[in-house]
Amino acid sequence: MSSNSILSDESTLSRIDRLVHRLESALTAASGIVIFALVFVAAANVIGRKLFNAPMPGFIDWIEQFMAVFAFVGLAYCQREGGHIRMDIIIGRARGRTLWAAEFLSAILMLAITTALIYGSWFHFLRSFDLSSPLWSRDSTIDISLPIWPAKLLVPLSMTLLWLRLVLQLWGFGRAFRSNQNKPVAVPLFVDIASQAAQEAHAIEGGHGRSD
Amino acid sequence: MDALIDVKQLLAGIDTFELSIWLSIALLILVVIGVRVAFATALIGFLGLCLFFMQKQGFDRGLVTAMKLTGQIPHSKSTTYALSLIPTFILIGYLAYFAGLTGFLFEAAKRWLGWLPGGLGVATVFATAGFAAVSGASVATAAVFARIAIPEMLRENYDPRFAAGVVAAGGTLASLIPPSAILVIYAIIVEESVGKLLLAGFLPGAISALIYAILVIGMATFRDNIGPPVSGFTWKQRLASLPGASPIVLVVIIVIYSIYFGWATPTEAGALGALIVLAMAIWRGVKLKQFRGALLESAKLTVIIFTMIWGVLIFVRFLGFADLPGAFADWLSGLDQPPLITLILILLCYVVLGMFMDAIGMLILTLPVVFPAVIALNGGPDVLRDASPFGLTSEECAIWFGIIVVKMVELCLVTPPIGLNCFVVASVCQEERIPISAQQVFRGATPFFAADVITVGVLIAFPGIVLWLPSLI
Repeated sequence: MSSNSILSDESTLSRIDRLVHRLESALTAASGIVIFALVFVAAANVIGRKLFNAPMPGFIDWIEQFMAVFAFVGLAYCQREGGHIRMDIIIGRARGRTLWAAEFLSAILMLAITTALIYGSWFHFLRSFDLSSPLWSRDSTIDISLPIWPAKLLVPLSMTLLWLRLVLQLWGFGRAFRSNQNKPVAVPLFVDIASQAAQEAHAIEGGHGRSD
Repeated sequence: MDALIDVKQLLAGIDTFELSIWLSIALLILVVIGVRVAFATALIGFLGLCLFFMQKQGFDRGLVTAMKLTGQIPHSKSTTYALSLIPTFILIGYLAYFAGLTGFLFEAAKRWLGWLPGGLGVATVFATAGFAAVSGASVATAAVFARIAIPEMLRENYDPRFAAGVVAAGGTLASLIPPSAILVIYAIIVEESVGKLLLAGFLPGAISALIYAILVIGMATFRDNIGPPVSGFTWKQRLASLPGASPIVLVVIIVIYSIYFGWATPTEAGALGALIVLAMAIWRGVKLKQFRGALLESAKLTVIIFTMIWGVLIFVRFLGFADLPGAFADWLSGLDQPPLITLILILLCYVVLGMFMDAIGMLILTLPVVFPAVIALNGGPDVLRDASPFGLTSEECAIWFGIIVVKMVELCLVTPPIGLNCFVVASVCQEERIPISAQQVFRGATPFFAADVITVGVLIAFPGIVLWLPSLI
């Protein structure tokens, strides 16, 4: 998790970046809400089961279906922020065109696998989706027979948004390479991890103050 | 395409195993040049599957089969109940900051333990251990406590190098004491019981903290310039400090108790823990914006971890066809040296890797190949205790190795040249205008590093310390 500062200006690229970012942020916020709901539902389930002998019907089925939200919908948001884990010992030292070329290559490789995943996960979805079946579903969960296709559909949709994000980053890194920019817009700029952690700690402390 | 190039014929002579070695080298290159680990592993796994199926089915059909096989892995591997524990632990970590637990913990530890020789150092060890346990973030813990504990220690005339060292080292206690996300990830990758791994981490984590504390007391007793005890707190003041620090203890107890007695699933235990920390945060007046931030950060880290997991499982699917892990295991277990030496060499590799890479990333990347080799070293998956060179069943070996390897990767956070905790402490000190350089922090952390090496040695020599708690369930 190495970088998170994204610049913007009035260029078309930056405008599209901000627009897509709105969608990415909304989806990641939804994923945060699902995590929060998971906490409540799981706590309610254990309390219901232990104190009132009334576990929630289909608890595991529901959890597994909603997991797809926090497992996938934030993919593009993380990519925008440069959040996905990588080893930055070499790329962290690169500057200028070398850096942009390396980032461009990295993004193009990611684009390749993302394209394959969109295709493959779409087929995975199609195998369980059938308009003529009850609940449009060919398969269902074990306990309370929830349809599985909505969770499966989230994968190609999230991957498509990631695909779009990667295209924007290719545009950004490509432009930075061509014009040898120092501070390109719409792409994550490298911040070394130590100063990032220090900033984080600073923000956190500023957030709640000291209690002693 | 098949008409243009006869891919089947082109690939006919290539051995899948040899291919897997070349692709693994390619993966290493991609990771080193900075391609995101999750996607590098997924890409190489996919390429491997493509070549494997193209060899059998030709270009078009092979490509489609590989894409379909790859495309089902993210969903099928991510939406399993066991993994739902991860976001709850992560949320506990982020909420812990806003619950103001750092200051409360340090204050409580100071009032209860300050009277010991090097008392503020001892307090720092336990406060960082407690906070790191729930936050699960070593580096951030070191950064936060650098701001709280170091100025206070310096006010009491503690040796600056020692003060910085104890904070940097204290952060490394994060990964073993439950709730620990990294142990959950380990358990899932090696297909072991999450509950057992979480329980197994408790004693080694607590022992590490105790050894640190004994070290501080010893240093303060035998060397003059470490720092004085801080006394004068009344019992009333001590008792008054407990409620603020209690959520941490509660969270740790709930997780351990639930798993130990089978009272709740790990996910449910994590959820209860998160609710407690949330209640504390609300009581401390957490702002909606901060809460939203915590949720967003949790969502972000969750997706990062899930992506790593399915990414590497695509690679693992290919490795399964190529049987690279099996061959690596055969080679390692066939080496003409005691298995223990091989195990220690593997652990040393982790120290080196840990200097360059995030702990979770490193574990996910290496375990698919290294773990089967460790099990083979122990005598294979069905080995009986008597026949195993380590005297462990394969399940015990998996748990034991998990705890040791996690301890090793944490060690790297205070090891030069890249020990992140030390740099973070130094940079916070610089910001606070405290004249402590990174070298001084490294030197200050050295005794703790030495203590950790001893701890690892003890855990290797006495697996019972790791295995006792999980053996009870």
